[in-house]
Amino acid sequence: MGAGGREVSISLDGVRDKNLMQLKKLNTALFPVRYNDKYYADALASGEFTKLAYYCDICVGSIACRLEKKEGGAVRVYIMTLGVLAPYRGLGVGTKLLNHVLDLCMKQNIGEVYLHVQTNNEEAIKFYKKFGFEITETIHNYYTNITPPDCYVVTKFVAQPQTKK
Amino acid sequence: MGASLPPKEANLFKLIVKSYETKQYKKGLKAADAILKKFPDHGETLSMKGLTLNCMDRKAEAYELVRLGLKNDLKSHVCWHVYGLLYRSDREYREAIKCYRNALKIDPDNIEILRDLSLLQAQMRDLAGFVETRQQLLTLKPNHRMNWIGFAVAQHLNSNGSKAVDILEAYEGTLEDDYPPDNERCEHGEMLLYKISLLEECGMIERAVEELRKKEPRIVDKLAYKEQEVSLLEKLGRFDEGEELYKKLLSMNPDNYRYYEGLQRCMGLYSANGQYSPDEIDRLEALYISLSKQYSRSSAVKRIPLDFLSAEKFRLAADTYIRPFLTKGVPSLFSDLSPLYDHSGKADILEQLVLELEHSIKTTGGYPGRVDKEPPSTLMWTLFYLAQHYDRRGQYDVALRKIDEAIEHTPTVIDLYSVKSRILKHAGDPVAAAALADEARCMDLADRYVNSECVKRMLQADQVALAEKTAVLFTKDGEQHNNLHDMQCMWYELASGESYLRQGDLGRALKKFLAVEKHYADITEDQFDFHSYCLRKMTLRTYVEMLKFQDRLHSYSYFRKAAAGAIKCYLKLYDSPSKSSAEEDEEMSKLPPSQKKKLRQKQRKAEARAKKEAEVKEEANASAVSRSGKRPIKPVDLDPHGEKLVQVEDPLAEATKYLKLLQKHSSDSLETHLLSFEVNMRKQKILLALQAVKHMVRLDADNPDTHRCLIKFFHKVGSMLAPVTDAEKLIWGVLEAERPTFSQLQGKSLIEANTLFLEKHRDSLTHRAAVAEMIFVMEPNKKKEAINLIEESSNDLVSSDGALGPVKKWRLKDCVAVHKLLGTILADHDAALRWKVRCAEYFPFSVYFEGSGSSAVTNSSYHPMHKLHENGSPNNESSLPLSSNGNVEKLEALKDLVIQ
Repeated sequence: MGAGGREVSISLDGVRDKNLMQLKKLNTALFPVRYNDKYYADALASGEFTKLAYYCDICVGSIACRLEKKEGGAVRVYIMTLGVLAPYRGLGVGTKLLNHVLDLCMKQNIGEVYLHVQTNNEEAIKFYKKFGFEITETIHNYYTNITPPDCYVVTKFVAQPQTKK
Repeated sequence: MGASLPPKEANLFKLIVKSYETKQYKKGLKAADAILKKFPDHGETLSMKGLTLNCMDRKAEAYELVRLGLKNDLKSHVCWHVYGLLYRSDREYREAIKCYRNALKIDPDNIEILRDLSLLQAQMRDLAGFVETRQQLLTLKPNHRMNWIGFAVAQHLNSNGSKAVDILEAYEGTLEDDYPPDNERCEHGEMLLYKISLLEECGMIERAVEELRKKEPRIVDKLAYKEQEVSLLEKLGRFDEGEELYKKLLSMNPDNYRYYEGLQRCMGLYSANGQYSPDEIDRLEALYISLSKQYSRSSAVKRIPLDFLSAEKFRLAADTYIRPFLTKGVPSLFSDLSPLYDHSGKADILEQLVLELEHSIKTTGGYPGRVDKEPPSTLMWTLFYLAQHYDRRGQYDVALRKIDEAIEHTPTVIDLYSVKSRILKHAGDPVAAAALADEARCMDLADRYVNSECVKRMLQADQVALAEKTAVLFTKDGEQHNNLHDMQCMWYELASGESYLRQGDLGRALKKFLAVEKHYADITEDQFDFHSYCLRKMTLRTYVEMLKFQDRLHSYSYFRKAAAGAIKCYLKLYDSPSKSSAEEDEEMSKLPPSQKKKLRQKQRKAEARAKKEAEVKEEANASAVSRSGKRPIKPVDLDPHGEKLVQVEDPLAEATKYLKLLQKHSSDSLETHLLSFEVNMRKQKILLALQAVKHMVRLDADNPDTHRCLIKFFHKVGSMLAPVTDAEKLIWGVLEAERPTFSQLQGKSLIEANTLFLEKHRDSLTHRAAVAEMIFVMEPNKKKEAINLIEESSNDLVSSDGALGPVKKWRLKDCVAVHKLLGTILADHDAALRWKVRCAEYFPFSVYFEGSGSSAVTNSSYHPMHKLHENGSPNNESSLPLSSNGNVEKLEALKDLVIQ
């Protein structure tokens, strides 16, 4: 760290058995949902696609993905959760996490990344659009107990580096 | 050796010795048997065979053979030497020394035996003998460096430093001019530094400086050279030179507190108790301002002024000191500052200061007077500091509020949970503290520190089984806590012993306490190898320091705690002996036959299982031996739960063993003499009990325990029958003569002394309780008065610097003790209950008093997260795509979402 400098580095770290509780703590704080074991198993299985973000060595955010096999063998990425603790928003943590996943998709020739967003969550939609996501589908009555109960499927088709070979 | 044998056998004998030295025991055994075939009575061969077998773990045979060999050849120094080696291998040093001496009678100039003897003498601190042996070695082989050094060290240890200097100088006289060669420069330099430290020790300071400077080019360790020089200059009062030198040292390491202290001493600006005149403070301030310009990267130079500054200047300095640490996020900030809480007024200033920072960050996002915004984590670290601050001041409710706010802000920081756990422990809720510590542990399963902390909290909450399981996560191969024992993990053994003691499981408690005692014996043992190693390597200053450390080893707190714990166990055993098997049988006979049968069956099964387990273990060990060819790892513990320990015949005799060690090494601790009083009163050793009382009065006459023992003692003595035997009369005489030496009792009855003690300490709960107990002891009919005395005590606010603070005086620990006094000794259950209700109000988090905020009542209020994760979530079907992503900015909309 430079003297007097306020620039703080954001670093990413993988999720393992030993620090899984960090992800659980984040989710408890961020989402009103209790995620089940499948969620955590998928997250662990996705390897590099699930990351914790550290700000000044404090774990403040995470992205958790599931790798899905499409018919025909192609793989697509489903973003299960992406979130940053309230006090640490607006510092580029979310951007760093999402870019990490998009870069990985590029490198691994994965063409499709998608997720669900509640239809009235305009800020989230705006956030994803910034990264080239588009609304591709609307599912009615996706949620129970909250209004609106509908959600969008938001998808980004990752352009593959064609030049190779 | 083997002289009496024909050439062929003599060669075989040489082979045995060689095989022993090269650890080829089987080969040696074969050779021995070959000789014994022809000469079955050859003493030296029998002895050597025994020694070889000893290394192959056939102890019984070994002793038999060695003794037989000796009997057959009493005039052989080999046989005696071997006998000595055998004893030495079993750590029977006194016996070994005797054997060596016998061997030397036959062969007085045997270098090998002399050397072995000298090691044992050093180990046993037979210093006169050590000097003698070392002198003999030097006389025999004066061309050997080690013999000169050994003789010098022996003289030094035997308190003859100047002789040691002479020897070293004589040794130097034997050296060539171009000594030392390049590969021995370090050793030679060490020897010179050792000699100079000897001169210093003997008070020959001038000569030491002279010698040091003369030998400078030959001393390799330049830092040690400078430190030695400055210490000598200081002793000579040459402070100007000292000042210069300390500044030089500081430029080498500006974070060494001892250099700053030395510098202050040389400038006449040092006081051991930290009290300075205003003028001195000004000069100190100026000094540190100039130093901090020179050493801007040193943290010591910034921290030290907080110790001597006060009031407004302290406030300013503390403010500048704290801010960057909070910004950077340094979790140890509070422990760094906590010594300041003992300085009057500083805690208040710090509180005000950090509260202002908190307020400013919350309202403006930055520190007061600054435009720059702080990173979001600063607020969390500020709250973290405040929580520890209020914890330290005893305001547990505020502390918990602050730490909860911090956790709410950033729930992923492990330190927050650790501190919350600590606050709950202080507030009297060990169960919730353990749960929080476990939560912290779960957040980083690879961190040994949080694991250990959690284990300790579990033990404090008496969850021993769980603690054991948790601790084993970090030991190798999960070989249970044997591994913790091998690692000499004493904090664990102590905490677990104390927990067992609380729970009344005296066997297991003793097992743990005695394990700690064993570690200390092992540490003493460990010095053995260094007697030869250090002389060879010339690390003489460190060697002598190590020996001195070993001499006071048993005064260290872990040993003190273990010994005190063991003594308490034995006292309890004496007071309520465990059930003998006859009594158990009697109890059994009361049961109906069907149940009896069941119980018997159960016992038999358990026994069989234990036996089988032991066998399996032994087998495993045996196979390990055959595979590696080494000694077995360790024998099976035949008494893993200390059941045999509980069945000692004379618990007080056992207690006395440990008491003696405490008296020898911790005579300045009140607890030592309190325990001595308890043990000796039970043993009816009146004069020893009196001695204990005298020690207590000397150490702290105003201590409630001292008062208790004093009154109890003379009350007991007063009720004894008139002396009959001569011995009794003698004791009586001593008591008559001693009683007037207690100023508390001069011209007063015990009851008056008790009243006087109350007058003196009217406002203290613990003193009132002691007085009440003594009223009851002396006049049991005044029980009501005693209870009233306790109940009329008032829990006032603590005043600091004239103003009343927010905290009350009574401490939880003392209130618990009073509750036990009311419930057991005074045996008034109504009073005890009233006391409990009253204390539950003072200590809302106390589990013992069932306070309204404790986990005993609320169950889950202080670890909601923890509970949440344990429940699991069977409802969530995995195929359902759960998603609440995209909530980077806003979450409110999702608050009511439920997944089916």
